[in-house]
Amino acid sequence: MIGTSNRKRVRLSVESQQAISGYLFLLPWLVGLAVFVFYPLGYSLYMSFHKIRFTGTGMKFEWKGFENYTYAFLSDNTFVAALLSILKNSVLVIPIIVVFSLFVAVLLNLKFKGRMAFRGIFFLPVIFSTGQVLTEIFNQKAGSLDLLNNYDVAGFLAANLPKLWADPILAVLNMFVVILWYSGVQILLYLAGLQTISTNVYEASMIDGATPWEIFWKITLPALTPFILLNVIYTIVDMFTLPLLNPVLSMITANMTNPNLGYGYSAAQGWIYFVMVFLILLLVLAAARKTVYNGAER
Amino acid sequence: MRHWMNRARTLLLGDMEGMGVIALLLLYLLLVDVALMYLNPFLYMLSTMFKTTADLLDPTVKWIPTSMEWANLKLAWDGLQFPKALKSSLTISLASAGGQIVVCSLAGYSFARLKFPGRNLLFGLLVFSFLIPPQTLIIPLYVLYRKLDLLGSPMAIITPALLGHGLRGALFVIIFRQFFSTLPKELEDAALIDGAGPFRVYWKVMVPLAKPAVLVVFLFSFVWHWNETFITGLVLNGSDLPLSVSLSHLDKVLRGMYGGDGTEPSFDLNETIRMAASFLIIMPPLIVYLIAQRWFVEGVERTGLVE
Repeated sequence: MIGTSNRKRVRLSVESQQAISGYLFLLPWLVGLAVFVFYPLGYSLYMSFHKIRFTGTGMKFEWKGFENYTYAFLSDNTFVAALLSILKNSVLVIPIIVVFSLFVAVLLNLKFKGRMAFRGIFFLPVIFSTGQVLTEIFNQKAGSLDLLNNYDVAGFLAANLPKLWADPILAVLNMFVVILWYSGVQILLYLAGLQTISTNVYEASMIDGATPWEIFWKITLPALTPFILLNVIYTIVDMFTLPLLNPVLSMITANMTNPNLGYGYSAAQGWIYFVMVFLILLLVLAAARKTVYNGAER
Repeated sequence: MRHWMNRARTLLLGDMEGMGVIALLLLYLLLVDVALMYLNPFLYMLSTMFKTTADLLDPTVKWIPTSMEWANLKLAWDGLQFPKALKSSLTISLASAGGQIVVCSLAGYSFARLKFPGRNLLFGLLVFSFLIPPQTLIIPLYVLYRKLDLLGSPMAIITPALLGHGLRGALFVIIFRQFFSTLPKELEDAALIDGAGPFRVYWKVMVPLAKPAVLVVFLFSFVWHWNETFITGLVLNGSDLPLSVSLSHLDKVLRGMYGGDGTEPSFDLNETIRMAASFLIIMPPLIVYLIAQRWFVEGVERTGLVE
């Protein structure tokens, strides 16, 4: 009697001990989450409904309701145009990155001499793929393909496509190499994914007489669908926070110092942007749910 | 004859064991091609930084300069205030990477191995925080840093990283969580039966095993902090500029020296200096990468980044 009740108490305390240490391990991160994510998130929402003025004593908030938001859509034509151009660029860029990195990862996963050296080169973009240096190189046109100048692709596109699409396609082609440079992390994720497919499956299907082509479409690709989805999400997040393709970033910081619009309007722009990105992600998840689930059932 | 034909076929087209010569050649051709495309901007940078103005204007000089012009590097070195900026960059990147490794691995371990109420909800918040664009948070953070008197100090970048946030903190927690959840459960059970507490298990058993994950996170965090310009440029407006920001600063100095009126000149004579500056900026992370590269490439496969 005494023994069992004793044991029960010990077990309970182990569980609650684990829970307590669970929270303790998380504590610094949770503090950071509150201070550096949720506080600014709430504060920027609050700001977005105000006009903010600076006085000698500090910031003065003046309630404006949805005025900042209606201004963004109805009066500020540069903002809507910037959003649309990012959307158009992303529609072109994201599939390129997701497909290209899959292609490279499959090649790098084959067994051949010197693949470690090639992997070293293909991960190199992870080093450069952010920041000023890349913008610098891109500005010097070193990021475009020689092919474009040699065959006057610009003229061809302008002649054969409506301007609405010719311009973004050209913009994307002009920084094609830079786009490829943004696939470093995605290649890593695919390679990690390819490791999860057991070699037994490959051997069995080869004995059954399947060609490498069939194996890729019937085995490799279905097994990779969760990673494709992951890469699509990562690429969306990455692309929408990337200064290179993104006029909204500079617009927000520029509007901070604008005396007529100020912090309130910048905050509203930030929120519109966030909601847009979030909706796109939800859309992708909803669309992917069926295909990925069926393919991934292993 | 037939036997010979079969052998030739195997050699060229491959068999179940491996690839044939044709497939292998195609593979190398493809890889070399793509690799050159990748390296093109880098090679362009290397070649341009050694060019003289005459070489730059001469269309017959494409890749190899007629003479090595070291003055560009010297000018860039001075223009960037290299030693000072390097120190600032190293402080920010190393402190942030260190902080993120410690706090994110603790959080990742907790999410992977410890059971507590609200774990799924908190993990949901983690993923959510990854999706918020920095554009949305930048203004309140700017105000917050001003209140805390952090504006202009590298601590404005380092503090969030020390609490496991900052640049892509959420991603690093996810990487550590994935890594820890692939390790066998028996490891912990054995240590727990021996009477070790959760923190001892984490420190003595888990951390030594987590080297590949630590390396991956360190490299990403170091490089991303090194190259970050958007937030850094906003909160560090003055002295102690890190390298990433001092490049655009150099730009202004150069434009003042030549051009002057702020309009883009039709041909950029400072390109050589700017390429030299770019080279100086990416050199340190490149060295770190070259050292870590071998373990990194292997480490990625073992992190089981996603399961």
